[in-house]
Amino acid sequence: MIHLEHVSKHYPPNIVGLHDVSLKVEPGEFVSIVGQSGAGKTTLAKMLIADERPSQGRIILGGWDITNIRGWEIPQLRRQIGVIFQDYKLLPNKTVFENVSFALEVAGASRSRIREIVPQVLKIVSLDSKAERFPRQMSGGEQQRVVIARALVHRPKMILADEPTGNLDTLNTQDIMDLLLKINAFGTTVVLVTHNREIVNALRRRVITLKDGRIVSDQAHGKYVLTG
Amino acid sequence: MITAWRIFTASWKHFARNAWLAVATIFVFMMALLSVNVLLGVNVVMDRVVTVLEDKVDITVTFKPETPEQVLTQARFYLTTLDQVRTVQLIPADEVLAQFRKRHERDNKVLAALSEIDRNPLGAQIVVKAKSPDDYNFLLQAIQSPQYQTYIQSQTYDDHKAAMTKIREVGEQVRFAGALLVAIFALFGLLTAFNAIRVAIYTHREEIAIMRLVGASSFYIRAPFVLEGVWISLFAFAMAASLYGVALVWAEPVLRPLFDGADPGIIAFFLDHALLIGGLELGAMLFLVVVVSWVAVGRYLRR
Ligand SMILES: Nc1ncnc2c1ncn2[C@@H]1O[C@H](COP(=O)(O)OP(=O)(O)OP(=O)(O)O)[C@@H](O)[C@H]1O
Ligand SMILES: [Mg+2]
Repeated sequence: MIHLEHVSKHYPPNIVGLHDVSLKVEPGEFVSIVGQSGAGKTTLAKMLIADERPSQGRIILGGWDITNIRGWEIPQLRRQIGVIFQDYKLLPNKTVFENVSFALEVAGASRSRIREIVPQVLKIVSLDSKAERFPRQMSGGEQQRVVIARALVHRPKMILADEPTGNLDTLNTQDIMDLLLKINAFGTTVVLVTHNREIVNALRRRVITLKDGRIVSDQAHGKYVLTG
Repeated sequence: MITAWRIFTASWKHFARNAWLAVATIFVFMMALLSVNVLLGVNVVMDRVVTVLEDKVDITVTFKPETPEQVLTQARFYLTTLDQVRTVQLIPADEVLAQFRKRHERDNKVLAALSEIDRNPLGAQIVVKAKSPDDYNFLLQAIQSPQYQTYIQSQTYDDHKAAMTKIREVGEQVRFAGALLVAIFALFGLLTAFNAIRVAIYTHREEIAIMRLVGASSFYIRAPFVLEGVWISLFAFAMAASLYGVALVWAEPVLRPLFDGADPGIIAFFLDHALLIGGLELGAMLFLVVVVSWVAVGRYLRR
């Protein structure tokens, strides 16, 4: 599903975002990427959606070499990846339904398709009864579930979540994790970037640890490894 | 199809969300269009005035009172045969006198002097108009043929040269000032449009970011902004056209005296050329707006 070959990312003047990272993720896997602040986790995530280009190396997603992807091909790529990033919240002046259908509209989906899919994904995140609410009328956890619903509308083969539980309490965090596991159970590959040691440890899934832009450990049933 | 509709509605939402900015942009565009039209209008009026003056140019040959009728008709016939001549008008002595009286209606001394002489002291006149202003020199010579020379008392040639030169001068100045005005307004219009789009993009930056994230094509993101520019242009055009129409209806009677009360023909000119002028103006404006907004969105979409 994901194939990185000796990928490096340097920012001018000489900041290392990532250094010689190689990894493979199989379809249907649930992978956590952990590491201290500045380790390169977000840089890695951004490269998977072609938001950043690697300085060196190759990136192949589902057989598609996106290393030198053209600008006009990027939308095609993004419709195949469900993205949950902290900087991309909900639009405050749209309802839950509209926020989710927005992602379908921009891809040219018909009205009937929108009417069919949006309730489905809202049901997956258990918010089908709150479709007409505005984001400000919802809790942080609920809002984050709407973001996940939005990421699901294109039925992506892969979900990429960067700190999806960033500012949520334990209970809401658990909800989100359960949701991601449920999505993974449908066969969707999940890549989770996080700081949160407890949730990674509780998952008992594959953990990749980054430090200063390098992979320092990659464990099949890993724990959050704290390195000096 | 559904995408076209979404782009269409989005463009109106953009418009509504920064309505004041849109109105300001419309205003500046309108000023630019109006200045173009006023310049055109002034041009038309100037041309018409010059034509009217050119039409007034003539040679008036005054014959001695005792000139035989036969010589007069012969002279008229001779002039009519010349290629360069457009019209020849023979004014009999009686009529010349009548015109003279009329002109001096209020001048009692002149009238008194006239009535003291019992015969008509004035001779007949022949008024000649040439086909082209350049032909007058030739005609002046032609009339001087020995056959008629003895009977000719005087000949006047009024070329209205001073007046025409003056008008041409003023015309040049107006054209220059007008062109400057057009350039300034066009520049301001485009800058305002550019800025309006910048603000619109800033207002929608969250939306744009999310659109990009969920896989909207850059055309889908750009199109509503470009379309908004098109709506602004159309509004400006409609308003400029109606305002200019009102201004013309008001201006035509005011201009009449310049044409001795004749129809200045300025409304007619704009009606005749409405499609051409409107099409060119609208076309040029739309072209510029589309290019500018396309570039503006492109610049601010780069991360
Ligand atoms: N656009 C950029 N320009 C320059 N340097 C950057 C840029 N983006 C990231 N970096 C640098 O690259 C390194 C990796 O950053 P990255 O955002 O990937 O860290 P992270 O692991 O996501 O951290 P956090 O856990 O705090 O989110 C950092 O040193 C950061 O300062
Ligand atoms: Mg990060």
